[in-house]
Amino acid sequence: MANFNIDAKKDMTYDAIVIGSGISGGWAAKELCESGLKTLVLERGRLVEHVIDYPTMNNDPWDLELRGAVAAEEMKEHQKAARSGFIGENNRHFYAKDDENPYKEEKPFMWLRGNQMGGRSLLWGKQCYRWSDLDFMANAKDGHGVDWPIRYKEIAPWYTHVEKFAGISGEAIGLPQLPDSHFLPPMELNCVEKDVKKRIEKEFPGRNMIIGRVAHLTEPLNGRGQCQSRNRCDRGCPYGAYFSSNAVTLPAANLTGNLTIRPFSLADSIIYDEEKGKAVGVRVIDSETKEVMEYYAKIVFCNASTIGTTQLLLNSTSNRFENGLGNDSGELGHNLMDHTYRVGAMGKFDGHEDTYYKGRRPNGIYIPRYRNIDEKSTTDKFVRGFGYQGGAGRANWGAGANQEAFGGEFKDALMKPGDWEFFITGFAECLPYHENQVSLDRENLDKWGRPTLVIDAEFKENELAINKQIQIDAVEMLEKAGLKDIVGFDNEHGMGYGVHEMGTARMGRDPKTSVLNATNQVHAVKNVFVTDGACMTSSSCVNPSLTYMALTARAANHAVSELKKNNL
Amino acid sequence: MERREALKQTALFGVATAIFPSLLQSCKEVSRLNWQPKFLSVKHAELVSALVDTLLPKTETPGALEMKVDIFIDLVYGKLNGKAGQKEMDKGMDDFNATCKEKFGEAFADLSLENKTKILKMEEASSPKFNGSVWGTAVGKQEPVGFYRSLKSTALWAYFSSEDIGLNVLSYDPVPGPYQGCILLSDVGNTWSL
Repeated sequence: MANFNIDAKKDMTYDAIVIGSGISGGWAAKELCESGLKTLVLERGRLVEHVIDYPTMNNDPWDLELRGAVAAEEMKEHQKAARSGFIGENNRHFYAKDDENPYKEEKPFMWLRGNQMGGRSLLWGKQCYRWSDLDFMANAKDGHGVDWPIRYKEIAPWYTHVEKFAGISGEAIGLPQLPDSHFLPPMELNCVEKDVKKRIEKEFPGRNMIIGRVAHLTEPLNGRGQCQSRNRCDRGCPYGAYFSSNAVTLPAANLTGNLTIRPFSLADSIIYDEEKGKAVGVRVIDSETKEVMEYYAKIVFCNASTIGTTQLLLNSTSNRFENGLGNDSGELGHNLMDHTYRVGAMGKFDGHEDTYYKGRRPNGIYIPRYRNIDEKSTTDKFVRGFGYQGGAGRANWGAGANQEAFGGEFKDALMKPGDWEFFITGFAECLPYHENQVSLDRENLDKWGRPTLVIDAEFKENELAINKQIQIDAVEMLEKAGLKDIVGFDNEHGMGYGVHEMGTARMGRDPKTSVLNATNQVHAVKNVFVTDGACMTSSSCVNPSLTYMALTARAANHAVSELKKNNL
Repeated sequence: MERREALKQTALFGVATAIFPSLLQSCKEVSRLNWQPKFLSVKHAELVSALVDTLLPKTETPGALEMKVDIFIDLVYGKLNGKAGQKEMDKGMDDFNATCKEKFGEAFADLSLENKTKILKMEEASSPKFNGSVWGTAVGKQEPVGFYRSLKSTALWAYFSSEDIGLNVLSYDPVPGPYQGCILLSDVGNTWSL
């Protein structure tokens, strides 16, 4: 792969500027560069070159002094993010330091950030599901939030477009509420999952248990290798087997010769030209030197992550937009959503003692939504729905901690795999509430002099009602599937733990109640596009990243066509 | 240097007072261990060594002491635990030894194997358990499990994540290739180490 061009200084003017290089920013860069636009990608953190900058990718536990755990002194840098349980010595260089990037939680909100080239595309869960009209019509149907300005048929070809390039493995089963993707071969279920699937589908007509649909290659694609089941994804994949900006979209953008990426470039604000009535560029703070500079372009794509983009827009004030760029509706920063997390059930499976599996499959099972999908499945306890992720595996030596035993025989028995265990954990759709919001804290500035953020959001009655159902249904399904020692659980997480922040600059039909139009353009500033999670009008109950990819590709191609027509 | 370090550590954790006979006493204690704790007091290190040896003794496979489980727990104590965690563990170890003295008149490390076994059986019966976990995080509200079960869990981690066990005893496969969901356990043997 050719080196990335990072010499932005010699040229301050581009056709397009993309702010952020994560999942959506990478797609914006690829689509715009391939359409012939000279594109500058602004990345607030450092460069992370595929493979070259994955220093921990091959570590075994014993290669590190603390076997992968993070020392208390170092963990102080990640005090907020540590709540996720995701941070270890092998991946923490991909997590932003909380102490350098403060924000205020009016109510508990865990904001996980990846401030480097590739952003959280290096860290994501890679579950990829298409949304359906059940999702795109949800707000219109029950009156929460505003109507999506698009329907499934408008985004379907763009799903196909991004899936073909990203590589999504999965099985097509033709469910209307979870449309099939363009799939690579599915990963395999293990023996217990196959049994549990049979039992659940028999006992609960209308429910399905499928292998997770994931952005892992199950066969080689465009020079990328297939998944080797190491499950060390969050350190960077040497095979490029999972989708990340670093392995997939940015190298493609780079191949065109049209890409410049500028690291250490904190987008401070978008420069709005009152006379022209449009944005003309981006004010950037060099995050290392604190030097302020301006870059200019015909179009600007905001892909700084849901909350990052919102911070940028709120901070982009002018005479025309006193409360943030494009904030005529007053909805900018509002309607923050996430999915609930860690509510479900687990149990033990009797049987299959003589079977095992090979590989650490970075994937599990998925139970698509089955509540409120048609008249028959409608409940009056809540609106919207939920899906489950989960999986089966055999316990290892860790189970020994709870066993009332010790000594030589105990130790040697732990060399063999233990009980088969199976769990499912639900993800509930979250409604868009105006009062769940992100706002600027102008009293407290970060080390670059920018206002910090206050996040004030919580799950409410409907989400809690769904969580209740998630646990009840989970326990019931595990019982009927023949599992033993079943434990239902609800960790009662606040928002942010799902790491599916969405909705703070929502799309809509009416500029009075939304920030973006049907092609992700700021209603009042048509050459500014927002295609990360901020644009989402509702949250569905399925993982959102694939939809960000599709919306981004669609918006980028619209931008190019509008530019050609001199409409921007 | 090692000796100076030892004195510094024992003083730091209040095992020895500043007077000379106590220092001699601590030197005598150091001689019980064949390793030098960096963070634990000698008295506590002795307890940890004796405990992990009782939990995971040598059989046909290596024991915890061969895998330096006690030395790793010293590191965990010093580096993974914050100040509050260290204090809690100190108290847990002191209480544990106090129970041993109350029952059998000696600290755990000095007990016969028979009495060690009796103590651990009591601890097993009375210690709270860990909740199950999903994706590495405990589900539900985890009650404190107390010193014994917490140490047992750390000892298992230290032992089974050690290089010799990971490479040579468990089934090691850093690059498994495409996932195979349903194979015979007999084709693998021991648990995968990674």
